[in-house]
Amino acid sequence: MTIAAMQGIVKRYGNELALDYVDLSIHEGEIIGLLGPNGAGKTTLIHTLLGMIPFDKGSIQLFGRTEKVFSHENKQKMGLVTQELTVFEDLTAKENLEFFAGVYGLKGEERKKRVEEALAFVGLSSNAGKTPAKFSGGMKRRLNIACALTHHPKFLIMDEPTVGIDPQSRNHILETVEKLREQGTTILYTTHYMEEVQTIASRVVIVDQGQIITEGTVNELIANIQHEEKINIDVSTPGDVPVERLKGLEGVKNVHVDGSTVQIISTVGSGNLDRVLSLVKETSGVVGIQAEKPDLEDVFLTLTGKQLRDGEEE
Amino acid sequence: MTIFTFALKRIFKDKTNLIFLTLFPVAAIFLPEPEYWPLLPYGYHYFGVLILFVGIRLTGLLVEDRQKGVVKRLAAAPVTHFQYLFQNLLAFSVIVIAQCIFMIAGGVIYDHELHEPLLLLILFIVFSFTAIALSLAWNSLYRNKETSFLVFMCVIIIMALLGGIMMPIEMLPDVLEQLAVIFPTYWLAEGMEWVVMGEDTADFLLINGVLLLYTLLFLIIGSIRRMG
Ligand SMILES: Nc1ncnc2c1ncn2[C@@H]1O[C@H](COP(=O)(O)OP(=O)(O)O)[C@@H](O)[C@H]1O
Ligand SMILES: [Mg+2]
Repeated sequence: MTIAAMQGIVKRYGNELALDYVDLSIHEGEIIGLLGPNGAGKTTLIHTLLGMIPFDKGSIQLFGRTEKVFSHENKQKMGLVTQELTVFEDLTAKENLEFFAGVYGLKGEERKKRVEEALAFVGLSSNAGKTPAKFSGGMKRRLNIACALTHHPKFLIMDEPTVGIDPQSRNHILETVEKLREQGTTILYTTHYMEEVQTIASRVVIVDQGQIITEGTVNELIANIQHEEKINIDVSTPGDVPVERLKGLEGVKNVHVDGSTVQIISTVGSGNLDRVLSLVKETSGVVGIQAEKPDLEDVFLTLTGKQLRDGEEE
Repeated sequence: MTIFTFALKRIFKDKTNLIFLTLFPVAAIFLPEPEYWPLLPYGYHYFGVLILFVGIRLTGLLVEDRQKGVVKRLAAAPVTHFQYLFQNLLAFSVIVIAQCIFMIAGGVIYDHELHEPLLLLILFIVFSFTAIALSLAWNSLYRNKETSFLVFMCVIIIMALLGGIMMPIEMLPDVLEQLAVIFPTYWLAEGMEWVVMGEDTADFLLINGVLLLYTLLFLIIGSIRRMG
């Protein structure tokens, strides 16, 4: 089932084109990784999709509705984790959650239960009575996420939820996303860290300068730009490498021996690593192995001619 | 009514607010009665100024929400911006009404000569609404709560002096005296004078009517949505 769809969305800020004819469909149960450098238009895309800002052209569908898409009924089914920390500094973690739960219509015992649950979910139960001022960056981020969870959204939109935090908190958040997916939540996950997308996304959408430049699973995107696979194997006795037998293996295109390293070049998706390795192991003893695999960074580089992290001061 | 409840909660969590809302009015009640001017006990004139301070402090919550991006976040939630504003303003109103009742009841118990305590209560409540609306409009011009508050303090002092609640308006040069009608404080001072000496009810209605018109005007200015 299609949860959300954008067709031909154009959004301008003055003369600047922030979204340039964007088409995007999101299906139930997916984790979409929306990847793009700073200023690509990710936040604008999200805010448009949620009806928070007007757009200039195109149409949006949510939960099968094409009219009154931004009704309270539809908003009720969605949750937004904002890029900035948008929590009340003067309220405790628990009160913050109570507020947002209340705004989404939860009352009494139910609200209490959901608040406890959300606190536990992001690992803040023991800090429930503290105000965000006393929190570390990672804890604030987790509170910011929890505020979008109490009403159990079917469709959760997370705008760079891991910006500027330590690796441990980041892993905690990624695990949280994983748990949410297991519970059946559809997630639109925005980030400019390709490692995150590579770990959790079932589908990746890459945006740059307000345009969707490509989409697909991580493997598809990589396969699209990849024409061959290279494996380098360090061996103990290079003289014994059975070059001809290796060349005879399915998918192998070429074999070079260079010093104690054997380089094997195969066609894409040949899946012959197992056979190659066992043959080399039998004959020459494997000492080390490196596979040169392109990643999403290479995909971005290939498609745009620039680095994903260009212009970032990290 | 979540937004309403939490607005109250946040106001009472702030210690400075508590001082403004409890200590200052109590102190005002105990101020002496003047000999010649003003007509009402000093404390009730100071209370007019206090109401302006309370107004800017209460509506400061909304600036904070905008600063923190909470307002933006709420745009994704199933509440309208109007509901958000309305519930907050309702909370502020409940607080100022309670404060006005406290101030008048305190005076009656303390045996001040308030002439028409009930009409004075109505006047203060109406002026409180004007103060809240004015602060709302004022705050909508600022992104930063502190700047907004600081500049508004000067405005309050000017309005208090030139509006005739801190000194007799007759002491001002003619030009300023005529200019004074533009300040809501002028109408408060007029109202207080009416409570002591007024006869024609229509005058009292007119005074409150002007204050309510101001309220409406400021509410419109203040509620024009600023998301930025
Ligand atoms: N409120 C705004 N007013 C004017 N320009 C904006 C505004 N918000 C974003 N932009 C511009 O739109 C582009 C996309 O921004 P944004 O959606 O925030 O990108 P991202 O979230 O991918 O970093 C940027 O060039 C940014 O400068
Ligand atoms: Mg962004």
